[in-house]
Amino acid sequence: MGTATTAPPARSRRPWAHLGAGVFALLLLYPLTGMLARVGPWQWSGPVGAASLASIRVSLLLTGLAMLIVVAVGTPAALYIRRAGRRARAWWQAALLLSILLPALALGILLTLALRPEGVVGGLLLRLGMATSNSPAAFVLTQVYVSLGYYVLGALVAFDAIPAGLEQQAALLGLRAGQVFARVTLPLARLGLAAALSLAWVRAIGEFGAVVITAYYPAGMPVQLWIHLQSFGLPAVMPLLLAFLLAALPLPLLLHLLAQGRRHV
Amino acid sequence: MFEVAIQKRRRGLTVDVAFCLEEGAALGLFGPSGAGKSTVLACLAGVQIPDSGRIRLGDSLLFPPPLPLHRRSVGYLTQEPNLFPHLTVEGNVAFGLPRVRARTVEQRAWLERLRRQLHLDDCWSASVTRISAGQARRVALARMLAHRPALVLLDEPFTGLDRALVRGLVADLLEWRQALGFTLVAVDHQAEVLSRLCPQVLAMEAGRIVERGSWAELRRASSESLRALLNPL
Repeated sequence: MGTATTAPPARSRRPWAHLGAGVFALLLLYPLTGMLARVGPWQWSGPVGAASLASIRVSLLLTGLAMLIVVAVGTPAALYIRRAGRRARAWWQAALLLSILLPALALGILLTLALRPEGVVGGLLLRLGMATSNSPAAFVLTQVYVSLGYYVLGALVAFDAIPAGLEQQAALLGLRAGQVFARVTLPLARLGLAAALSLAWVRAIGEFGAVVITAYYPAGMPVQLWIHLQSFGLPAVMPLLLAFLLAALPLPLLLHLLAQGRRHV
Repeated sequence: MFEVAIQKRRRGLTVDVAFCLEEGAALGLFGPSGAGKSTVLACLAGVQIPDSGRIRLGDSLLFPPPLPLHRRSVGYLTQEPNLFPHLTVEGNVAFGLPRVRARTVEQRAWLERLRRQLHLDDCWSASVTRISAGQARRVALARMLAHRPALVLLDEPFTGLDRALVRGLVADLLEWRQALGFTLVAVDHQAEVLSRLCPQVLAMEAGRIVERGSWAELRRASSESLRALLNPL
């Protein structure tokens, strides 16, 4: 059937394939062996632990908020771009690529300049009580900017994979545009949307270069790792690094598992 | 009355057709590939917008302005069954109808009748990704009929099926047309199939109507290409 999603190929049993996959996994995760290096006793007590916990809270809460904004803004944007003509679409794709192409440090500098308090937007936000530097708002805004392009491009691929005939058929069967989205587009795109959101999440929560410029405070985990490294050395970095992995990984992993568990086979 | 007058520019071709049809009548569009038959059907369904013209179905003006798809009483079957792969056969057939608990007794009986008469009992609870091509066409037909459309548009929905299966589906369609009284406009490259569905035919070439009338009249037509299509052997 033309509309059916094809099932993944049967699992290969060839030994060389397993060997190759094993080598690949080793290469992929090899940097993590650095955590076994002797750097002295890991440090968590006192101010190190308190600052680490605060950074975990900041990262999870504010990145979560940033992701809500990314999904709320990025999903309709991706739907709009999907329907755009060839030229408009090329323009949008160039704009999205540009947003993720910028070196993080450069993006941080540009954001700081664009949102300076004496500027129009920065001044307006300041009057609304949102400081655009070293504030939760600056933190969230920066994370939105660094991850939005990844989400929209991923969502665009997910929406493009849905045959237009399915949505047209749903509309001809009496569903309004919103109902077509909820009952056809979203269920069929959810695997791709989950992948896009995972990518946006890992990009945002691990962001250092842009955030360190715009929001040194409140410090999220990546910036706190830098502060620990500067102030206390590697023994203070290692436990926070472990905590970072444990805190940041479950959401994207869960999204992937949930989405893949409901593949249309 | 179903009144159609549409102009639609495509790459290198302008489709320009006009016809009137009594409600409940059946009309076949016949002609070589690229004649614009599918474009006409797509415009009637609303998935393409004509450049100009007028489409009226009874009291309902379909164009202009283009009536939103969800407000048209139109069933549209194409070569692709376009079943929703995340739903079961039942989910597809009942798509757009009220949810199970909210269905009236009449709606339940109607779905039951479709299930029985279109031989969907065996696969009713199966995912549509697990059914055969023939079953998929029956599901698409049942899903369309479930909404009792006033106008049914068939764009070669039997392509790729064996003759026995096509004969069965055509018989089903004729039976349901008699029961529901919908207006039918069909396109098929097989004259044999189309003539069984529609006693009246419009022959199209290069975007325009070149002949209209019964199949007997079409056979007497002067166009070489049409005669070749009618008698491929």
